[in-house]
Amino acid sequence: MNRLPWWMGGILMSGLLLMTFSIFGADRPIGASTYVPYFAGLIFNLDPEKYTYLKEVKNAGSWEGIMLLGSLFGGFIVSVFLTKTFRLSLIPTGWKKYKNNSVLSRLLWSFFAGFIMIIGARLAGGCTSGHFMSGMSQMAISAMIFGTVVMIVLVVTGKLFYNTKED
Amino acid sequence: MDIIVKTSGEDFPSRIVQMFENVIHQGHGSLVLVFLIGIIFGGIIQYTRVDKFEKIAGFAMLKDTIVPKMLFLTVGLTSIGLYFMIEAGGAHYHIKPILWQGLIIGGTLFGIAMAILGKCPGTGPVSIAEGRIDVLVGAIGGLLGGLVFTLYYDDFFKPLMGESSGKLILTGFFPGNEHMVVLIFGVAVTLIALLIPKVEMFDEADLSRLPDDKRPDRK
Repeated sequence: MNRLPWWMGGILMSGLLLMTFSIFGADRPIGASTYVPYFAGLIFNLDPEKYTYLKEVKNAGSWEGIMLLGSLFGGFIVSVFLTKTFRLSLIPTGWKKYKNNSVLSRLLWSFFAGFIMIIGARLAGGCTSGHFMSGMSQMAISAMIFGTVVMIVLVVTGKLFYNTKED
Repeated sequence: MDIIVKTSGEDFPSRIVQMFENVIHQGHGSLVLVFLIGIIFGGIIQYTRVDKFEKIAGFAMLKDTIVPKMLFLTVGLTSIGLYFMIEAGGAHYHIKPILWQGLIIGGTLFGIAMAILGKCPGTGPVSIAEGRIDVLVGAIGGLLGGLVFTLYYDDFFKPLMGESSGKLILTGFFPGNEHMVVLIFGVAVTLIALLIPKVEMFDEADLSRLPDDKRPDRK
């Protein structure tokens, strides 16, 4: 498990954000949740002229779609050659320790969480990338509201959902 | 043999081609650059291991603080750099509007989901790329979420998000002192990143591949 320390990750991520924001780069923020409804439109063959939301996300969705392809590729290459953590798995170690050993439980909860995660991100207009990293870096008030709500709900859910006392 | 590129069809392959065309023509970097941004983004997330369930759900349980430390450091450093880049004309603001209902309801759903799935929409694909099938199932749930959001946007979700209270930024509240506010914000957020105590939840599945003296949990 080779890995970079968190401060190196922060510095590199900051450099990537500045490069993306720059007019010599992409002149836009990094986002990572608009591509989901865009892909849903492609996969379920929804008519882009008929749905308001598909028109709204046409540009951002396709931009993030290409970025996502890069991110899958980058993640795969690094996991195979650098961190050497590539393996097929159905259930995380932490889930076994603090929740249960049931694959079915993990998959059903994953499906449910994925579903509400995207609805939540699209209601708020962004996710960890678009709001927390890109928005807070511009000192946007919307991002600070989102960040505060997410942090509180995240920690409350963590306390209620997992059996953290069994250490 | 002629190669025909269809750019106006409605079938799946031509819509994929249209995705590439959209990126080429929207003026936010070349196709190669956008793909490269993705590679670096995924590479950083993978190499720092912040896509792991133990890091994100671990933070929800307050047993791991790598994710908030890295996030706050990124924001602290970027906020200062970005402000002066914008001042110099090298970048623009892209501020999202304040939709109180959307932010609070959306943030609540997002927070619950992040704790349970142990991923977010940026880190999820990186986990799928390293073979996590449970996250792939989460992504299928996400696609259906995106479908439902698109189908009921006009009738349900857009009204639920509420009216915009404007695209405000922190410096707007302190006219004349913008530089000072940016520096204080950037330094304060960076300090938060440094001051959050470093706690870690390790994954035995990764640690067991290391020799005993290299294991970070035995130091």
